[in-house]
Amino acid sequence: MTKKKATAPKKRSKPSSHGHTHGQGHCVDLLRQLSAYIDDELPSDICREIRRHLGACPNCEVFIASLQHTVTLCRHRPAPQLTSTERMNMRRAILDMANAR
Amino acid sequence: MQEPDEFDKLYRDHVDLIYRYAHRLCGETESAKDLVQETFLNAYQGLKDFRGEAKVSTWLYTIASRACMRMRRKRKGQPEHELSLDEFVPTSEGEFRLQIPIDGLSPEEALQNKELRQALDQAIEKLPQKYRMPLVLRDMEGLSAKEVGTIMGLNERAVKSRLHRARLFVRRELSARGITHHDNHESGGLHS
Repeated sequence: MTKKKATAPKKRSKPSSHGHTHGQGHCVDLLRQLSAYIDDELPSDICREIRRHLGACPNCEVFIASLQHTVTLCRHRPAPQLTSTERMNMRRAILDMANAR
Repeated sequence: MQEPDEFDKLYRDHVDLIYRYAHRLCGETESAKDLVQETFLNAYQGLKDFRGEAKVSTWLYTIASRACMRMRRKRKGQPEHELSLDEFVPTSEGEFRLQIPIDGLSPEEALQNKELRQALDQAIEKLPQKYRMPLVLRDMEGLSAKEVGTIMGLNERAVKSRLHRARLFVRRELSARGITHHDNHESGGLHS
């Protein structure tokens, strides 16, 4: 992914700083579709185009790997559990509140 | 629903699910317990009208999500800010990768690092609620985009748009933290 420049003109043919020939528009377009790509929701021709872009753009390749890692970490983050005493106390509190209303 | 046995079954079968969801949304124990109580209180009063058009779990997730938004509105009056895709375009070389110890590790092994767990939790907690909810429901609870849409009252396109921004937000937060210390010597089991 090409670095964003605050006042960069939108010349898509200008070579990027990391040696490939597309402009930053391709990278920003890719950014918009990364979750759909990770979730395998895109048509095969778009996926092929993205893979071709990733092969030519090391920064985008690193970026998508980092997003994939982020999603993987979220999916595996364990959550704390209630103890049986907490479950019992909460049940009692709920029924007390229900009866009080 | 007034039958105690019916409520007991509903509670017994789903309290752990709803507590897990509540803890992921609230980020801490006491608020999560309040949310669970509010959810089951509403369920107790509303089950007589539940016609089974959705799964019970979807119905409970919906009640919990609405209760969470009500509780948030009571706590803070500030409107939530929108996340724009433009703000997630990296502006320096260091922002492309995650500076965290994950190479060669399974996700479970990586998450034994307490600093990484805290960084992930803090990133999720910093998300505005409208983005946190789809991330928690889709990526942590494992629901489909369609189910998340049913729960949040959104179409699938809106769910996916919010989810994408939420993921980019968490990625950027983790990228900015720079966790390099391998801290895999804690005891096993669930980590908080």
